[in-house]
Amino acid sequence: MGLLTNHRRRRWRAEPAEQPDPRAQTTARLNILKLVVVVAFVALAVQLANLQLVRGHEFQQRAQLNQLRIEPIIPARGLIYDRNGVQLVDNVPSFSAVVVAADIPKARTLEIADGLQQLLGVPPLETTLKIEQARRSNDPFAPVIIKDGLDQTTAFRLREELSHLPGVQIAVEPVRHYLHGNIMSDVLGFTGRIDPQEFAALKSKGYIPSDRLGKAGVEATYEQYLRGVPGRKEIEKDATGREIRTLAQDPAKPGDTVVLSIDYDLQKKTTELLQKAANGGQAAAVVMDVHTGEVLALVSLPTYDGNTFSGKVDAAKYQQYLNDPNKPLVNHAISEEYAPGSIFKQITGTAALQEGVATTSTTIAANGYILVPNEYNPSILYRFNDWRSFGNLDFYGGVAWSSDVYFYYLAGGYHWYGQNFNGLGVDRLARYARDYGLGSKTGIDLTGEAAGNIPDPAWKQKTFGDVWTLGDTYNMAIGQGFVTATPIQMVRVTVAVANGGTLFVPRVVREVRDAQGHVIVPNVPKVARQLPISAANFAIMRQAMMDSVSWGAATAAHVNDLAIAGKTGTAEFGNPGANGVSDTHAWFTGFAPANNPQLAVTVFLEKGIGGVNAAPIGAQILDYYFHRPPQATAPAAAPPQGIAQP
Amino acid sequence: MNLRNTPTHEFDYLLALAAVALTAYGALLIYSGSLATYGSPSAALSHPVSRQIAFAVVGVVAMLVLTRVDYRLFGPLSLTLYVLSLAGLVFVLVAGGSAYGSRRWISIGGTQVQASEIAKVCTVIMLAKFFADNEERVKSLRVFAISIAIVAVPAVLVVLEPDLGSAFVFLILWFGVALIAGVRKLHIAGLFALFAAAAPAAVLGVAAGYQKERISIWLDPGKDPLGTGFNILQAEISIGSGGLLGKGFTHGTQTQLDYLRTQTTDYIFSVGAEELGFIGAMVLFGLFVLLLFRCLRVAGHADDMFGRLIAVGVMTFILFQVFVNIGVNIRLVPVTGVPLPFVSQGGSSLITLLAALGILQSILGHRRKRSRRV
Repeated sequence: MGLLTNHRRRRWRAEPAEQPDPRAQTTARLNILKLVVVVAFVALAVQLANLQLVRGHEFQQRAQLNQLRIEPIIPARGLIYDRNGVQLVDNVPSFSAVVVAADIPKARTLEIADGLQQLLGVPPLETTLKIEQARRSNDPFAPVIIKDGLDQTTAFRLREELSHLPGVQIAVEPVRHYLHGNIMSDVLGFTGRIDPQEFAALKSKGYIPSDRLGKAGVEATYEQYLRGVPGRKEIEKDATGREIRTLAQDPAKPGDTVVLSIDYDLQKKTTELLQKAANGGQAAAVVMDVHTGEVLALVSLPTYDGNTFSGKVDAAKYQQYLNDPNKPLVNHAISEEYAPGSIFKQITGTAALQEGVATTSTTIAANGYILVPNEYNPSILYRFNDWRSFGNLDFYGGVAWSSDVYFYYLAGGYHWYGQNFNGLGVDRLARYARDYGLGSKTGIDLTGEAAGNIPDPAWKQKTFGDVWTLGDTYNMAIGQGFVTATPIQMVRVTVAVANGGTLFVPRVVREVRDAQGHVIVPNVPKVARQLPISAANFAIMRQAMMDSVSWGAATAAHVNDLAIAGKTGTAEFGNPGANGVSDTHAWFTGFAPANNPQLAVTVFLEKGIGGVNAAPIGAQILDYYFHRPPQATAPAAAPPQGIAQP
Repeated sequence: MNLRNTPTHEFDYLLALAAVALTAYGALLIYSGSLATYGSPSAALSHPVSRQIAFAVVGVVAMLVLTRVDYRLFGPLSLTLYVLSLAGLVFVLVAGGSAYGSRRWISIGGTQVQASEIAKVCTVIMLAKFFADNEERVKSLRVFAISIAIVAVPAVLVVLEPDLGSAFVFLILWFGVALIAGVRKLHIAGLFALFAAAAPAAVLGVAAGYQKERISIWLDPGKDPLGTGFNILQAEISIGSGGLLGKGFTHGTQTQLDYLRTQTTDYIFSVGAEELGFIGAMVLFGLFVLLLFRCLRVAGHADDMFGRLIAVGVMTFILFQVFVNIGVNIRLVPVTGVPLPFVSQGGSSLITLLAALGILQSILGHRRKRSRRV
C-alpha cells in the first residue's frame, strides 16, 4: 500500500517537471540564497578563527605591546661636596614640552602645531617638521623636544591644555644647579644634553636621546659615578599616550656622591685674591696638599658660570664666553701651556745638585750677563742677560736671587774667557724635567689637560729642522725658550721639592660614596713616581727657596707668623713691543710652613712680574689657609654619611 | 465562511527575537565601547546607550505597527516612497551634514537622519513592486534595464556623497531581488561582463582618492601604521587578541584604552570579538544566520511576488552589510563604511531595519488562509 502511494505521489510530482512549476523554481532560488548565507558566514568564521584561534597568541602580544611601554627612569644625579661637606651642586626640575609622534593623530598634526604656537610661540612649521621626522624614524614613540627650559607658568598653562593636545607631554627633568656660580666652574665643569655622537657611543649604557651628561670637569670625569643606574618602569598608556598606571617598576639607583679634595672656602678666597691681581686677564692658581697631591683650590680666570649650560643653554652668554679673547671656557690651570720662567729653576737646581754639577758652595760670578763667542767666528759674541747684576753667588744666592747667569752655568756650562765650568747639558736637564712630570699630562681627574713641552735636540730638529744650540740650553735653564708648562704641572714640581721627591698624580676628588654613604672610591694618594734626587738635595732647594722669601727675589711673599719658601718667575712671551720690551708672565710657586711643608701653591698671572704681582698672591693664599678663623677651618672630615638624595 | 480572505495573523517570534537579541547585543557593545569616552552610563539621555535604546523602542513600535498594516498598501505607495527617498538623497548632497569628508545625513529636529538607510528599504519596495507588476515580462530586456535603473539612481546619489559602501548595497540588493524575480541568467551574465570590463577603469578613474588609498592600505596597513592603516591594524589586534573566550566584557584593553577608533559604529564587531572572543562572535553569527533564514522563510511563505521580493531584498541588504562590515573588521574586505545591522550605533539604520522586519511580519501575517491546496 505504502509502496503504491509512493509511486503515485512520485508520478504526480514528476509531471510538472517538464513544464517548470514557478513555486518550485522559487524554492530552488531561495535555497541558493540560503546557501549564500551559509557560505558567507563560513567564510567570516574561518577568517575569524584564523585571527582569534590560530594567530590569537601573536595578537595578544601585540595588544600588550600596544599599551605597555617600557620607559627609563633617569636616576637622580649624584651630588658633589667639598672636602668639608659644603654642598656644591643641586638638582632642580626643568620643564620641557615634548611630543610623541606615535600618539598624534595624523589629521590633527596641524591643529596641534597651531596650539603649541599659541602656548609656546614655536613656529608651527618647525613643530610639524619635527613630528613628521619622528613619524618616519625607527622609534616614533621617543619623545621629541619642542621647547625646553619652560618657566613654571608656561608649563602649568600647557598642562591645563594637554587634554586638547594628544601626543603632547610635559617632560620634567632634573638639571644641575651650581650653587656657587663662578667659584667652582673650572673644577666642576658642567652638564649638558647628550649629542648624537655621545649618544651613539653611550646608548648601550642606558642613555636616551634626551639625556644629559657631564661635559667637562668633575661632571665629565666622574660621570660613571654621578649618573647612577637608570631604572625602568612598565607603564600602561592609552592610544593618546596618556599614562594610565604603572605596572612594574625597577627603580633607578641614584648617582654616587662625589667628595672633592677642594676646600671651598680656600677656593673662594683664592678666586677673590686672584681676581684682584688678574685685572680681567688670564690667571690661574693651584693649591696642593704636599703629602697627598690633593688639590685644595684650583682657579682659572676669567671663568664662567656652569649654570649657563644646565637646562636650556643661555645662548647669549655662551656667545659672550666664546668671543672673550681670554677664553673663559678654557681651564688656564691645566689646559693652557705657558713658559714657566724662573720657577723652572727648581728643576735645573735640584738636577745640578744631584748630578754633582753644583754643590751649595759652587760660586759663580753673576755680573748681569755672559758672552759666548760664535763657534765658527769667535769675533761674533752672543750676549745672555741676567735680570740684574749680583756679583759672586753661591747656590743659595743663585736660587734666592733667581740669577739667570748662575743657572746658565749650571745647565749649559761655560768654557770661555779662562773659565771651564761643566753644566748639565740639555739631555740631562730634559731628563730631569721629564722626571718632574713636565712635557706630559699629570693625569689630574679633570678634562682637557695639556702636556706642555720639554725640548731637546731631536725635538728641535724635528719641529724646526734646526740644530740645538748652547743658547737653547741656557734658555731652557731658566724656563724660557721652548719650555712650556701648565700651572698644575708646576705646583706638582714644588710639591715634590717640598715633600722630598714624591711626584703625585693630582686629584680634585677625595672619594666617591654611594647613596648609602659607603665609600666606593677611597681616598688614596696616587704616586706617579719617586724622583731620583736625594733628600739632602731637596732640603738644599727648600732652604734656598726659604732664603728667596727671606732676603732674595721673593720677599714680597713674606707674611708674619708663617715661614714660606718660594720661587718667583717672570717669563717673557710674545714679541717685544715698541719699547723693545716683551710682556711677561708672572709666576710664584711656594710652600709653607717652610720647615715642615704641608701646602704648596702656584700662582700664574698672564701679565705681570713674579716678585711684584704673583708672590704676594701666593703668600696671601697660604696665609689665609694657615691663619683663617678656626670656625672657617672645618675639620677635614667628610660630609655627613648617607647624604640624602633628592 | 470565506477562509481565503482572512489574514493568518502569523507572527514570527523567532525573527523578532533574533532582531531584538541583536539589538541588545549591540547596546551592550556600545556601552563597553563608549566607556572610555562617557564613563558609566549616567542617566544622561545623551549617552550613546540611552539613545540607542530609545531608537530601539521607536523601531520596535514601528515594527509592531507595520506588522498590523497590510503590506499590500505599500504597492500603490511604492513610487511615492521611492521618489521621496531619492529627494532625501538629493537633499543630503545639497545641504547635508558631513563627517570624514563626505555628506551623509540630514538634520531633522536635531536628529541626524541617514537618508541612505531609508532609501534602501524604499528602493527594495519599489523594485519588488516593479518586478511583481511585470511578472510575465520578467525575461524581457526592457524590464531588466528598468529594474537596474531603479537601483542605479539611488546608488549614483550615494556614490556622490561619497559613500561607496552604500552604493554597493543597492546593487547587491538588486541582484538578490532580480534572482528571485527570475530575470534571465543571460542578462545577469551580460551585466557581470560589463562590470568586469568597467571595474579597472572605475578603480583608476572614478573611485574617489580616499577609496583608492583605502584599498592600497587594506593590502598593506603597515605602510601607514599611524594614519589610515591604524584602524585596520588595531581592529585586527583587537579581534585576534580576544582569542577563544575574549578578555571579558568591558575588559578589552584595545577598546577601553581607545586604540580602536569608531568602536561603536564601523568597528563595533572588534569590540565584541575582543571582549567576548570567538565564542561571543559565534553567538552573534548564529543570531544573524537565524534572522536571515527567517527572512528567507518569509520569502518562501509569501503569498505573492511583491511580498516575496520585499523579503528577499531586505534579507539581501542585511546579509551584504553584515558580511562587508565584519569582513572589514577582520581584513577580508577593503575598508568600507557600512554599519553592522542592528548592532552598530545609529538610529536611522536601526529604526529602518526594525520597520523593514515589521513589513516582513506583515507579509507573513497578511497571507490569505488556505485550508488546502486546490
